[in-house]
Amino acid sequence: MEDLAPRIAAYLAHRMPAASHVEVSGVSRIPGGASRETYRLTATWKEGGEQKRRPLILRRDPVASLIETERDVEFNAYRAFHPTGLPVPEPLFLETDLKWLDRPFFVMEQIENCQAGSPFNAAPYGPLAEKIGAQFWTHLGRIAAADPAKTGFSSNMEAIAPQDCWKRELDKWEKVIDEDELMPQPVARAAIRWLRRNPPPPQPRVTAVHGDYRTGNFLFDGEGEIRAILDWEMCHLGDPLEDVAWAADPLWAFQQTERPGGMIARDEAFRLWEEASGMKIDPVRLRWWEIFNSLKGLAIWISSGKEYQSGASSDPILAFPSWYCTDVHNRVLAHRLAALSREARA
Amino acid sequence: MKPDVPVVMRGLFGTMLMEIAPNLTAEYSAGSVGIMSMMIFMTADEYDRAADIRAAENAEMRALFGEAVELIGDAALKARLAEAAKGRDASLRISALDKENAALATLLIELQAHAEESSGPHAAGLEARIWDYLVTAAERRKLTFPSLG
Repeated sequence: MEDLAPRIAAYLAHRMPAASHVEVSGVSRIPGGASRETYRLTATWKEGGEQKRRPLILRRDPVASLIETERDVEFNAYRAFHPTGLPVPEPLFLETDLKWLDRPFFVMEQIENCQAGSPFNAAPYGPLAEKIGAQFWTHLGRIAAADPAKTGFSSNMEAIAPQDCWKRELDKWEKVIDEDELMPQPVARAAIRWLRRNPPPPQPRVTAVHGDYRTGNFLFDGEGEIRAILDWEMCHLGDPLEDVAWAADPLWAFQQTERPGGMIARDEAFRLWEEASGMKIDPVRLRWWEIFNSLKGLAIWISSGKEYQSGASSDPILAFPSWYCTDVHNRVLAHRLAALSREARA
Repeated sequence: MKPDVPVVMRGLFGTMLMEIAPNLTAEYSAGSVGIMSMMIFMTADEYDRAADIRAAENAEMRALFGEAVELIGDAALKARLAEAAKGRDASLRISALDKENAALATLLIELQAHAEESSGPHAAGLEARIWDYLVTAAERRKLTFPSLG
């Protein structure tokens, strides 16, 4: 494995001119955030006569990834939400010059002594599920309530009108399927046709959308406090119900539809979200985003399978979801769309 | 091959997950081995059933096309359905079955889109028949996630 420590130390020394004797140790690639290579490390340096130490996370663009995303959008999301009090790591440096680590990367604060729950576990939070679930849905409501312009979240994003959000997302993910499918996808194609025939009712306003807010994408400590909301790589401007539906998607924690993500009851989850966001959940709009999200999931899993099959990457994290998650979302969508078809024809 | 492939696969799953992964010091490598072990577990089932699933799907899609021929007015689509309905699987190799499966699924997508746009007397029944097939096929392909408890 390449020795990144001296190269990272050289970069940090460049970015911290007041620091001397910069050293990096404990560089370890860690799972999570499959769209980028994620490394844990500790930096030490001398500054103002004092010895300093800071644990850091470095996220580097991959050779191939689960999804292709812009690192500056992700970095900016951390920058926008960190000062708001939302548990988000402090972003430190964004670097696009390839001379340092061959690929673009960014560096942020490491949140220590925490863990992430597995989305493939029926009880990912054990006895802490109620406490964590209440925070999880409240934090999501706060993301929806935040003004994207005031926080700076939208500063490097193309503006969009509320009535266009659904179409932009559907177009984007349909294109991914068009380009990456390795076999015909009858269920995905039926979902796309349904989504276009039944556009969602207008949303009141455009909000920040995390894009991958779910079980497994946040860190919590031993007391059940959520300490870091991570993996903003798919964030965008859009309909806040997109995040609500993705957080409640049946894939997480084995299709516990009444206890999404293996946390708290669905009704209570949605009540907390409404309270924190100041918005009401329109069930017709939510249904559209639920079906969309299962389709978006399929697109991601199809795309990751293409990366693996093409030889762009041999990382099993790309092959596994193309088997297992495709299977789940195909079944979820087939049942859902079959019922909607029966209703429409009745 | 003996021991049976599924038996070996499940054995490898256990060894990788319980013996190899915990002894790896590199965190990402340990995670990768965990993922690989789960995929090997899933392959154990797939090895036994893969040809059966594909042959069943191909036969069911051909039967569905045979029924649809009588209900479709579009002459070009009707002709392609009739041709596909007469087909058969010449080989039980997975690659050959997959190739035929893809061709049939492509035609199924076209037929379903056609049925959705149709308000004819048979459209609702045909749409329901297609969804019955798709739900059955999706359930038949369901992968078992290993119990890690």
